[in-house]
Amino acid sequence: MKGYHLGELEELILLTVGILDKEAYGVAVLEEIKNQTGRKVNISAIHTVLNRLEEKGFLKSYMGGATEERGGRRKRLFTLSATGRSAIEEVKNLRNKLFEQIPPLALDFSHGY
Amino acid sequence: MDTKLKHHPPKWPDRFLEFYCNPSRLEQIQGDAYELFYMNLEERGVGYARFRFFIHVLSFFRWGNIRRTRPSYQTYNHGAMFKNYMKIGWRNLLKQKGTTFISIFGLAAAVGCCLVAYLFIEQVWFKGMHQENKDEIYQITYTAEGENGKTTFGTIAEPISEMISEALPNVKAQTRIQIDLPILIHKNESYFQRAQYVDPGYMEMFTYSMLYGYPGALNEPEQVILTEELSEKLFGDTHPIGQEIALVSNGEEKIFKVGGVFKEFNDMEMFNFDLLVNISNRSNAELTLPLKDAWKSELWTFIQVENGTDLGDLNAGFAEMVKTQNKIDPENPYLSIQLESFNDLVKNSENIERGVVSFLAVAPQLLLAAIGTFILILAVFNYINISILMAFRRLKEIGVRKVIGSNKGQLIAQFLSENLMVCFMAIVLGCLLAAFIFVPGFNDIASKNLKIDLFNDAYIWLFLGAMLLFITLVSGLYPAIYITSFKPINILKGNQQIGSKSLLTSVLLTFQFTLAIISIVAGVAFVQTNYINSNRDWGYTSADKIIVNVPSSQDYIPLKNKLSALASVTEISGSQDFVGNWIREEEIVFQDEKYEISLLNAEATYPELLDLKLKEGRMFNPELISDTQESILVNEAFLDRLGLSFPVDEKITIDSASYAVVGVVEDFHTVFFQMSIEPMAIRASPDTTFNYLTLKMTPGTAASSMQAVKKIWHETIPRGLFTGKLQTEVFDHEFNDVKGVSNILLFSAILAVVLAALGLFGLVSLNMNSRIKDFCVRKVFGADLGDLSMKLAKRYLIIWGIASLLGGGLSIVLVSTFLNSFFAFNSGVGVIPLGLGLLVLFLVIAGTVSSQIWKIVRANPASILKAE
Repeated sequence: MKGYHLGELEELILLTVGILDKEAYGVAVLEEIKNQTGRKVNISAIHTVLNRLEEKGFLKSYMGGATEERGGRRKRLFTLSATGRSAIEEVKNLRNKLFEQIPPLALDFSHGY
Repeated sequence: MDTKLKHHPPKWPDRFLEFYCNPSRLEQIQGDAYELFYMNLEERGVGYARFRFFIHVLSFFRWGNIRRTRPSYQTYNHGAMFKNYMKIGWRNLLKQKGTTFISIFGLAAAVGCCLVAYLFIEQVWFKGMHQENKDEIYQITYTAEGENGKTTFGTIAEPISEMISEALPNVKAQTRIQIDLPILIHKNESYFQRAQYVDPGYMEMFTYSMLYGYPGALNEPEQVILTEELSEKLFGDTHPIGQEIALVSNGEEKIFKVGGVFKEFNDMEMFNFDLLVNISNRSNAELTLPLKDAWKSELWTFIQVENGTDLGDLNAGFAEMVKTQNKIDPENPYLSIQLESFNDLVKNSENIERGVVSFLAVAPQLLLAAIGTFILILAVFNYINISILMAFRRLKEIGVRKVIGSNKGQLIAQFLSENLMVCFMAIVLGCLLAAFIFVPGFNDIASKNLKIDLFNDAYIWLFLGAMLLFITLVSGLYPAIYITSFKPINILKGNQQIGSKSLLTSVLLTFQFTLAIISIVAGVAFVQTNYINSNRDWGYTSADKIIVNVPSSQDYIPLKNKLSALASVTEISGSQDFVGNWIREEEIVFQDEKYEISLLNAEATYPELLDLKLKEGRMFNPELISDTQESILVNEAFLDRLGLSFPVDEKITIDSASYAVVGVVEDFHTVFFQMSIEPMAIRASPDTTFNYLTLKMTPGTAASSMQAVKKIWHETIPRGLFTGKLQTEVFDHEFNDVKGVSNILLFSAILAVVLAALGLFGLVSLNMNSRIKDFCVRKVFGADLGDLSMKLAKRYLIIWGIASLLGGGLSIVLVSTFLNSFFAFNSGVGVIPLGLGLLVLFLVIAGTVSSQIWKIVRANPASILKAE
């Protein structure tokens, strides 16, 4: 199968951008990840990944939304592209497919080894 | 929110971020970093926030974020942009035809002047630069112990040239060069011509373009090559090849055939001559000189080496030459022999005695360069003034452009590209002006042969390129930067002061006026001095006298006898030098003190014949033996120098013989007015032969008898050159020289005034245009003509006043120094030149202002005020 290769962080960020829906930019993504997963990711890592995902075509971006906190600078807002959406679904489906193939026994820890 | 106002992200990390970050990502990254900073600030306090900001900046320092050599956003089309600059510039120039013309014409005139000055300086310093083989040609020079330590000589013992072919490897061609002034006789007319005696190798080494004949003509010893000028003088339209001429040198006559004619030289040639002669024809060449005498005779020797020769290879040969020379002629020992590159002959001319180039003519170079710079400054100031004013009319354009997003650099580029266009046109026009008016005019005045040679002269392109760059930047940079520094909001609101009253404009105008005044004063003072000098009393009567040269002593008596037989000759007298020319200097001793004075040896009748004015004592009495042997006449300057008054009791010693002063004559001019009158003694010499004869003619017959005198002279001395002239003509040459200088000065004064006038006209009319409504309103309310004129003229009159003081003061200092260095007798900077300078400038201002006021007078205020 020709897959969408996504790294772990890439997948996480792609999902977060999907969640934030038109409000996704560097700091927002950072906060969302922190709130949802408790993980502290470096802002520069997030930027790098966002840019890389955009290059791969999973994300689209536009400039907008200047705020005072940013010293009047605009945010680069990211949204999922069609490819991005299908990539998430693909990944999710793949996971599910694989998960469902795990024999029930393997998940049953009551036997105790 | 209070904290936000108080605290900002740390500056240095922020700047670092701005420095390294790729501009396309900067906004995003910096924005996030700021946001995080303020978040951290609220949660954890200032210190932590700052620290985290710093960490963030560092962590953003990644390859993908770093700005690299070519930021991606700068991929816009430069070609189109420049085209746009040019197009806008061109439209702008066309819109302002009058002012554009003023700028271009002024700059072009300045470029033309600078070009003449440049050409003049170039022909002094880059002599010979057009020779094809210049890099392979060397002059052989030697160093010897001279009076002032080690001295290098450009001439070298003649037999050394015979050793070259054996001693020196890799020599392609060699030539000896000797300059002589033989008398050239053609069809019974004789001329003095500069002949250059050379080996046939000369024509291999140096390249000249031939008009007729072939370069190898010198291989035949009896052939000569003439310059075009000489050929035209001798043969006119007839074909010169094969014609015969005779050369007389040291009394020997030889017949030559013309083997070739060079095309006209320009002044870039290293050697100046009228004809080339094979060196085997020198008058003493056939005599077999004793060996030692042959080594005593020195001349220039040039060699051409093979391309790429290591000059070190020649050293062994030179050492051998030095050894041979010092053995044969031990009284004049050489220290070393070396080569002087052809290219360095001018540059090193000060270090080489008896070299090819001895006279660098620094003073005229300075004068011309000064005039060129003067005019250039005037024109550039004009242009700066006008372009600032022009730019003020485009303030709105600048404002709009700035708002749309042009940065300062782009606006400056727009202005500079317009400047570049103007300067380019000015340079093209300047070259045309120079080629067709200035250079021919200057050649005429200075009897030079300068030429603008665009095809062969790489330096002139460099010069023109440098001029273009220089004028563009100097005249354009300040206005461009000044104009573009305004804030768009002020411009568009109309708050920006229209700066026609700016200080800079006034300063520049003052400077221009000052320069104009100085150049007018210089020109007028020079002309005035010339006028006064041409009417100056020479101290004796120059009318009705003819001076005749006597080439050798055996001709003296026959010539004198034959000339005395001429009916119109009333008196005749001989002298060693003649009044009106250089007189030799001699040392005299008086009361054990030594003095340098001019000493004129002459027949006892000479002072009286010349009508010198006797002041005290008496003239010589030819009958008295004591008078012809131990008496002198002196001039007033002589008494002043020695501090004597007339009856001089003590004797004066000249050449260890003592003389009594029998009379004092009034000061008279022996040399031109550039020199002061030197102390002078006239000695009635007992000699019976002299170099010159002076004839006193019956009144009014001098000019008409000249032909007869010349005929007798040629009958007596068939192989000689007659250089006789009227006593009234002795200063003609100097008068012409001085006239040339005064023409140049007058020309530059006129140009300076025209430039100042043009600049003023441009300023006033621009000023007027921007204030025409103001004036019309005043007119409507009944202001009369005088008020309006005063209003417009006031500023310029103030500037005129300041410039008058400055220019007057400066010109008194500068011009009188200049005059003093030129003339011992001058009129100084008096009322006439100063007054004329100020008046001319005043008239220029009055004329310019009234031409503009006339506009108002004719204007219908209704139509002007209704517009818009």
